[in-house]
Amino acid sequence: MNRQQKIAIIVLIVSLLGLFLGITLTLMKHCIPGFPKGTVVFGGFILSLGVFLIISRILKKKKGEVISDERDKIIEKNAYLAGFGAVYLLVILVSYLPIGIAPEAKIPTKWFPCLFPIAVLCQCFAMSLATLIQYGWRDKNGDK
Amino acid sequence: MATNELKNQVRRLRFENGEMTQQQLADKAGVTRQTILAIESGKYAPSLPLAFRIANTFGVPLEDVFQYEKGNI
Repeated sequence: MNRQQKIAIIVLIVSLLGLFLGITLTLMKHCIPGFPKGTVVFGGFILSLGVFLIISRILKKKKGEVISDERDKIIEKNAYLAGFGAVYLLVILVSYLPIGIAPEAKIPTKWFPCLFPIAVLCQCFAMSLATLIQYGWRDKNGDK
Repeated sequence: MATNELKNQVRRLRFENGEMTQQQLADKAGVTRQTILAIESGKYAPSLPLAFRIANTFGVPLEDVFQYEKGNI
């Protein structure tokens, strides 16, 4: 498994975890009176720090090692396209879904900034998934 | 990236050249071992520069390493 695959798996797990935590904490914040907002910020900080530490360990390069070649760059480019496509679909979904569910409802404007972290998570998830699919999920060991 | 029209003799030439490993060929061609594996299994068609580097590593012409079979039109 190469470096890109390792990073893709970590990002996949973290984006799913982030999405799950985000939904859970948002529900708790609305349902539990007096829920400390600092908990959300602290949790996000710890999660980001953990991801940074893990990825920095992976990014250590051995001397003379080829990190990324032409095939890796093609896979990376396709992954970026997949991420862009996922965010594009997300924006379309968010734009049209409320019309289908409740056309006369009103949406508080303070909810709109939430679209940004959701889009980031969506892009990360799509990019990491596309990377892993293109590499074939796991390294099929051939001759060494 | 995968192609059914491009065949290659990379694996055979590796073994004919002192049983070269995929890692050794990857180091000489300047790519990762995974790329060599993908080329051998037909899942990736290399760029022209990479194809020439591989052929030069074996000391044979390009057409001895890679063969193009015309598909059905």
